[in-house]
Amino acid sequence: MPDILDVIVSRKSIRRYKPDPVADELIDKVLEAARWAPTGENYQPWRFIVVRDQETRDRIADLARLGSGSRMTAWYCMGHMQERFAGIDDPVKREKVLRFMYSGEVSAFAKDAPVVIAVIGTLMEGSVDVPYDLSAAIENICLEAHSLGLGACWVHGPVASTRDAKKFKEILGIPTGLGQYKVIAYVSIGWPAEARKHPRPKKPLEELVYWERFGNKERPRHG
Amino acid sequence: MDDRDRYYNQLLFRMEQLLHHELSDCASWKTELIGTDFIQTQDIQGNNEQEVIEACIAKLKAAGLAEDIAWKIGGKGILLTLRVAGCPHMLKERLLRESGIKPYSCLAANMILDQLIERLGYATTYLADLKIDEEKGECVIRAAIYATPDKIGEVSDWSKE
Repeated sequence: MPDILDVIVSRKSIRRYKPDPVADELIDKVLEAARWAPTGENYQPWRFIVVRDQETRDRIADLARLGSGSRMTAWYCMGHMQERFAGIDDPVKREKVLRFMYSGEVSAFAKDAPVVIAVIGTLMEGSVDVPYDLSAAIENICLEAHSLGLGACWVHGPVASTRDAKKFKEILGIPTGLGQYKVIAYVSIGWPAEARKHPRPKKPLEELVYWERFGNKERPRHG
Repeated sequence: MDDRDRYYNQLLFRMEQLLHHELSDCASWKTELIGTDFIQTQDIQGNNEQEVIEACIAKLKAAGLAEDIAWKIGGKGILLTLRVAGCPHMLKERLLRESGIKPYSCLAANMILDQLIERLGYATTYLADLKIDEEKGECVIRAAIYATPDKIGEVSDWSKE
């Protein structure tokens, strides 16, 4: 069995897309990958809404811009965003990046992605572990898309607030009752118009892993 | 505070503690409707920010949900600062803080923000900051209010407000 680590490590969240269409066969493969995600009690709470319609994607993008922009504008006004991006030395570039963030444009790429897949989960009686199952399905979507040469981005922010989640449901005709379906995120998919130039820095395993007990960083000998 | 109020605050504390445990700081994004059922039954009237906010405050005070609420708008019109005194939920905030969680949900603010959306059609709002002053018995809330989508990105330095 081939090692999937190369796919995992080389994946990047893609937010800029070529206008080229994505064939149904590829979307089917992405959805098939989602379907095989681990799920508690084999409940399979996920439902997927595949959106290609431009007007619908525009509405999703507007909602995303409003959600992210409303928060990031406030964070900027409180100085939090400036701290977060202090690592950008060039002040002109830093301000450009910050404006891109607090304007909400950073999240408005659903309008340019040929395909958006909304990932929702049924909360009907008997459901268990729904957010975790959906997250596993989303990860499979992102990895399969990447393995096919597509770009994808897991987007949670625009459906993060309760009001925005309701608006998102209304856009797609999902029942809005809080006891019916949970909308956890959507994934935008398309052919990448950006390359992975600088892999995001990741914390080393030594910083992340404990052995046998919380806090123990010394790897025990075995065998 | 009588046993009933203590009991209700302990319930709210546990719910907010659990929600934070599940969602970390995103919990505050989920609680914006908490309290709004009450204010939506109060027939708030108003044609502008001042009228709506004052009407909400009057209802909150009449119901014993705050002794007083001072407010002002600044930051190019998007910063709403609320100073809530005598809130019956101060115990909830104290219990949260003692459990290591920064208080993140203000019911009075939720109600006022809700009515800006419901009565005036505001595009969106965001409860950005909540500070508790137990000695003074008051909370200071900073919320972003966006009358229209084009107000997004109207930045200023809130520390100078």
